[in-house]
Amino acid sequence: MSAVATPARQNTGGIRARTVNRIVIYGLLALFALFYLMPLFVMLVTSFKTMDEIQNGNMLALPQAPTFAPWIRAWSEVCSGLTCVGMKGYFWNSIKMVVPAVVISTLLGALNGYVLTKWRFRGATLVFGLMLFACFIPFQSVLLPMATILGSFGRFGVKLQNATGLTFGFGNPTVNLVFVHVVYGIGFTTLFFRNYYEAFPNELVKAAQIDGASFFQIFRRIMLPNSLPIIVVTVIYQFTNIWNDFLFASAYAGSGDVMPMTVALNNVVNTSTGVVEYNVNMAAAMIAALPTLLVYVLAGRYFVRGLMAGAVKG
Amino acid sequence: MAFLEIDGLKKRFGAVEILKGIDLDLEKGGFLVLVGPSGCGKSTLLNTIAGLETITEGEIRVDGRTINDLHPSKRDIAMVFQSYALYPNMTVAGNIAFGMEMRGVPADERQKAIDKVAKVLQIGHLLKRKPSQLSGGQRQRVAMGRALVRDPKLFLFDEPLSNLDAKLRVDMRIEIKRLHATTGTTIVYVTHDQIEAMTLATKIAVMRDGEVQQFGTPAEIYNNPVNLFVADFMGSPAMNLIPATIGSNGSGFSVVMEREARQPISLPLANAPAGLSAFQGKPIIFGVRPEALTDPEGAERNASNIARADCHIEVIEPAGSDTFAVTNLGGKAVVARLRADANIQPGTVTPLAFNLTKAVFFDPATERRIV
Repeated sequence: MSAVATPARQNTGGIRARTVNRIVIYGLLALFALFYLMPLFVMLVTSFKTMDEIQNGNMLALPQAPTFAPWIRAWSEVCSGLTCVGMKGYFWNSIKMVVPAVVISTLLGALNGYVLTKWRFRGATLVFGLMLFACFIPFQSVLLPMATILGSFGRFGVKLQNATGLTFGFGNPTVNLVFVHVVYGIGFTTLFFRNYYEAFPNELVKAAQIDGASFFQIFRRIMLPNSLPIIVVTVIYQFTNIWNDFLFASAYAGSGDVMPMTVALNNVVNTSTGVVEYNVNMAAAMIAALPTLLVYVLAGRYFVRGLMAGAVKG
Repeated sequence: MAFLEIDGLKKRFGAVEILKGIDLDLEKGGFLVLVGPSGCGKSTLLNTIAGLETITEGEIRVDGRTINDLHPSKRDIAMVFQSYALYPNMTVAGNIAFGMEMRGVPADERQKAIDKVAKVLQIGHLLKRKPSQLSGGQRQRVAMGRALVRDPKLFLFDEPLSNLDAKLRVDMRIEIKRLHATTGTTIVYVTHDQIEAMTLATKIAVMRDGEVQQFGTPAEIYNNPVNLFVADFMGSPAMNLIPATIGSNGSGFSVVMEREARQPISLPLANAPAGLSAFQGKPIIFGVRPEALTDPEGAERNASNIARADCHIEVIEPAGSDTFAVTNLGGKAVVARLRADANIQPGTVTPLAFNLTKAVFFDPATERRIV
């Protein structure tokens, strides 16, 4: 295109310089990508190898006779501590904890953002500032106070059981973890939704008010359907954080058959008896990592911009 | 009793008074335009009628019913917003029907109402689309459809045309006027565009700093502005407001305007307002609209009081339908509106005709009209 406008000699020089630049840039990027993907590659190939091949072969070599046996063993046979029933039970523990925690914290964050931007009350900015503060509290500092609170939940659960025969979830370790993650997550989800709704046109809310929609009808029919991008962001963020959490999980549900995936994986890998089954360990680690990957791949597709187009001018 | 009555309405945000005692009324089927510069409180006033803002003092009545403390949805009003405020997640039909859905109107009745409104506004082919798939003018129509379908006692329009381009704005202005004429609805309309105000209104309220400066028919506002602000704000090009003094020439008064490097112009006033006698020898503001200052051939034949004076033309602006000539009087640029084919050259001295029956006078100290 520019060959018409510029002299030939200068033009070839420009192209050569640009080519060198490109090679350097892409070369560096490829190098970093390789470096970053190396552990994943090793994990993947190792998880499909037999123990013989691992002990005698090259760590980076592709499996000569790929086998799914380590994956099957990791899923349903591997020992976590003294129980040898595989990861599947702990996998479902994590799902049972993550899904409610993500849904509840996202909904509460959306509701908070809605109130803080569209139903401003005296002191709304202060409340938001305090909620923002929750994002900066380190995990470790809440461990002990939270343990005390969860302990009293447990005692209350026992009382309920004595009185009614049901605990209503009080004292259940999974429910406890959901509670902890919801409380800890509200600061972040509120921040996300508040900032998104700050730019959400007020006139839509006013129009809905004139149309006779109530507080929750406006939230459900107007705000939420137009919040897909920020819902996706929040869900990815919360899901990844809660699924990968180890500290709270090991502190409040660290033993028995209520352990989430992260704690169980730690127990599998840290076992001190017998031969270390690298291939099974790798497969178990991959299983533990898959859901977050899946959420990102699935939800990321819906992470589209411009959903608000058409609401107001332009 | 008027259909819409606003008595002593005040609105305070903390210590700041946004609306300082508004009194307005509008007959059934009337078209009230609230006009003023930005920040004058006109949108706030509209929002208080809609119930989107609370009021601090005063009363708002629609059809004899006090609506001060009613929820917006209970006031029997509909509103068209500047940004249209169409719900982006719903189709056009869904947008129009949302209010009925909230009120629990059965689905088949909703459909009938949608079809009826779609026919009036010719948006039948758009009903299944989302707002993002519509052009600006189409969105505007849908927004009006959403208001129309309620069949409310009162329509509120908040600068509905200011997001449209110039050509479409004129089309939609005519459409709104036609809609008003055919449906006979009562409308309160906010704009900062004085042409919209003049063309649409049956009553205009000119607002500034939270106060109504003047309330009257478009003709009253245009021909008899009560103060300098109204005179200056309404009309395009704006009224010429020329610093002058009142002289006496034995039998009557004259208005005297200074000119640069020339003799002052003195125009005899045949039917001066009575109040002017107190200003003899004192400075006043002499107001004359561009169309009342023209070439002698183009002057109104039957105007009783026309005075001629030679003026130095500085600039000519041919606008196609008219030619505007700029001269300098009393230290200000003064615009005269001439016929399109007026034979006039910049830099020359030409006689201009002042139609003094249309002239108005203001007290420079109080800015009020001298009557």
